[in-house]
Amino acid sequence: MGSLNASLATALSGLIADQGALAATTNNVANVNTPGYSREVPVLVASDPIVVEPLTFGTGVTLQNIESITDPVLESQIQQQTQAQSQYSALSSALQEAQVNFSTTTGDIGTSISNFFASINQLSTNPSDLSLRQDVLTAAGNLATSFNNTANNLSQQQGNLDLGVVQQVSQINQLSQQIAQLNGQIVNLQNLDQNAGTFVDQRQQAIDQLSSLVDVSVIPADNSLTLTTANGAPLVTGLQSFQLTTQTNSAGLHEIYSEGNNITSEITSGQLGGTLQARDQEIPALENQLDTLAAGIANSVNAVQTQGYDLNGNLATSENLFTPPPANTTGAAASLSVAMTNPAEIAASSDGTPGSNGNAEAMYALSTGSSIDGQSPTDYYSGIVFNVGNEASNASAEQTASAAVLQQLNDQLGSVSGVSLNEEAANMVQYQDAYQASAQVITTINDMMYAAIQMPTLTG
Amino acid sequence: MRVNPNPYPDLLASLNQTQQEINTDEEQIATGLSVNSPSDDPTAAAVLVQNAGQTLQVDQYQRSIGSVQGEMQDANSALTSVTTALQQAITLGTEGANGTENAADLQAITVQVQGIQSQLLSLANLSYQGNYVFAGTATGTTPYVLDPTSNSVTYQGNTGTNKVTLGNDFTLQTNLPGSQVFSSGGTDMFKAVQDLITGLQSGDSTSIGTAVNELSSVSQAVDSQSVFYGNALNELNTQQTYLSSESTQLAQQQNTEGGADLPAAITNLTTAQTSLQATLEAIADTAHTDLFQYLH
Repeated sequence: MGSLNASLATALSGLIADQGALAATTNNVANVNTPGYSREVPVLVASDPIVVEPLTFGTGVTLQNIESITDPVLESQIQQQTQAQSQYSALSSALQEAQVNFSTTTGDIGTSISNFFASINQLSTNPSDLSLRQDVLTAAGNLATSFNNTANNLSQQQGNLDLGVVQQVSQINQLSQQIAQLNGQIVNLQNLDQNAGTFVDQRQQAIDQLSSLVDVSVIPADNSLTLTTANGAPLVTGLQSFQLTTQTNSAGLHEIYSEGNNITSEITSGQLGGTLQARDQEIPALENQLDTLAAGIANSVNAVQTQGYDLNGNLATSENLFTPPPANTTGAAASLSVAMTNPAEIAASSDGTPGSNGNAEAMYALSTGSSIDGQSPTDYYSGIVFNVGNEASNASAEQTASAAVLQQLNDQLGSVSGVSLNEEAANMVQYQDAYQASAQVITTINDMMYAAIQMPTLTG
Repeated sequence: MRVNPNPYPDLLASLNQTQQEINTDEEQIATGLSVNSPSDDPTAAAVLVQNAGQTLQVDQYQRSIGSVQGEMQDANSALTSVTTALQQAITLGTEGANGTENAADLQAITVQVQGIQSQLLSLANLSYQGNYVFAGTATGTTPYVLDPTSNSVTYQGNTGTNKVTLGNDFTLQTNLPGSQVFSSGGTDMFKAVQDLITGLQSGDSTSIGTAVNELSSVSQAVDSQSVFYGNALNELNTQQTYLSSESTQLAQQQNTEGGADLPAAITNLTTAQTSLQATLEAIADTAHTDLFQYLH
């Protein structure tokens, strides 16, 4: 029976539903600038009808749910792209810093090598001249200094990257704890059939931040998530977070441990992956090349020096020009130094006479020969410059490319979950109109009830 | 189709990119270089390192040539003087051998020849920047020593020669030992002069004549030896010219590989600045209005 009371209840349901819908709209508008916020949409459903034979009457509207609009596939893609972009960003900035050592300046290694051999060529024109001999020692000193400086800079940079590793591990641990906590809150709410949208958004933000730090794999499990690194080291399982630890190795650099296992070489993405790549591969590779060059120059010059005669006519067998570098060449660039202090000891002579320049010529020939891994010192150095420039350029290009893809994905996600103020305004007007209409209906029903009450009673 | 309602990330990214282009263009204009770090163009950077090395090398070769030229020019001059002195000795000897001179005349001629002997000794002991030029590689010791009792001159130097690298695949011998210059082909300059003096002192025309012939052979021998210095100085001139053009080519290569294309950079800069302006205006103009502002 279509009673007035039933209609009253129906109209009332409209008021209540519209109020609830407006709450969702209000929340959206308030959160228009909240990072990671997914817009909420009220799910309005017609309430179950009642049947009064032969008629079926509707009973109004129910606000069934306030749903957060997200796209889990997009979010997963964004995580992966964030990992890549952060990795390349960290790598690129480290290589940009490293390559500063290899730009052409007055004190750079390339110039120092050329000046050293130039001083030997000059000596060759007048081998007994003491001031030309001193010039050779000075040029050798400058050469050693240029190697020392570059090696020290790279070593320092490696140390800074190491500090970065420790910091990033600490940030990862904080985020893991946060996510575990959010998992708990989400599970609680969902068990009570309530909308955990806000917490889900926060958790997604935390996962995105974690993705910028390390390669993260997300495995949904019931109402919570399991997070591991791409290689399976656990970070979060349900309500429990697993902390990563660091320990210094024999080189004084921090290695990363998960549950007692060393996972340092397994982290290949995210900012941590990029930092580790720079610290453990790129910088050491550069240092090795420098060491090869420094040791090669020192050893080959010493070999020629000690086979000739010094200005006093003595065989220079025990008179090294450079301090002999370590046998395995490690650290040769950092420790390169001039052993000789007496310019008369330079073995320019090949026959013991002071005017002979035969050995100086032999020493000069090293500049154009193939004494460094089959290349001349300058050619080998140009190879180092190419390598560092190429690596830096590639990392920069990868960063730009992955940033562009990330932006595009974020745009797509925005089109799905972003709050549009125009949309919310239109919705608000709709709910307002509906509310006013329902209120008007209630007023009318009220009047009708009053009219019914006012009807004169029938007397016989 | 719903679009991303937030346009700012894209606009800001575009702004950033344009700003980066502006920075790159400004750097190129300021430094005049297109390769300011190896990553700008790794291949070019490597070529530039080699170019810089070659440039310094060419500079040094030019300096070394200058040093070598100095000594060789002095040596060349000295040998010219030697030739002149030998000719004088020959003339004097010929005069003394003609049998018309009396004892006093012969005495006078002898004194002159002795003077020439001193001069030749001095020329053979030429020193340049503290080194004896005709001593072979024993440049610290006087090559020609006169024994005052026997009046004979002995060579104390050695036969060593030096070569100096003065270009890629270009080395030049820079000295002739005195033993080669003054005693080649069986001749011996100082012995010949001594023989002339002895002959003049004895008054014997035959021995004077023999000594004059010796001196003729010596003069020819010294002449042909001294060609070495003339040739060497020519080669050095040629090499200097070559190195000059090398230097120019290297400078051109440096500009080609690493020089900024200034007109292009300036054009790019202007375009980028215009683009920046447009983007900024777009950001400012982006609808600050939405439906809320029209409802009341």
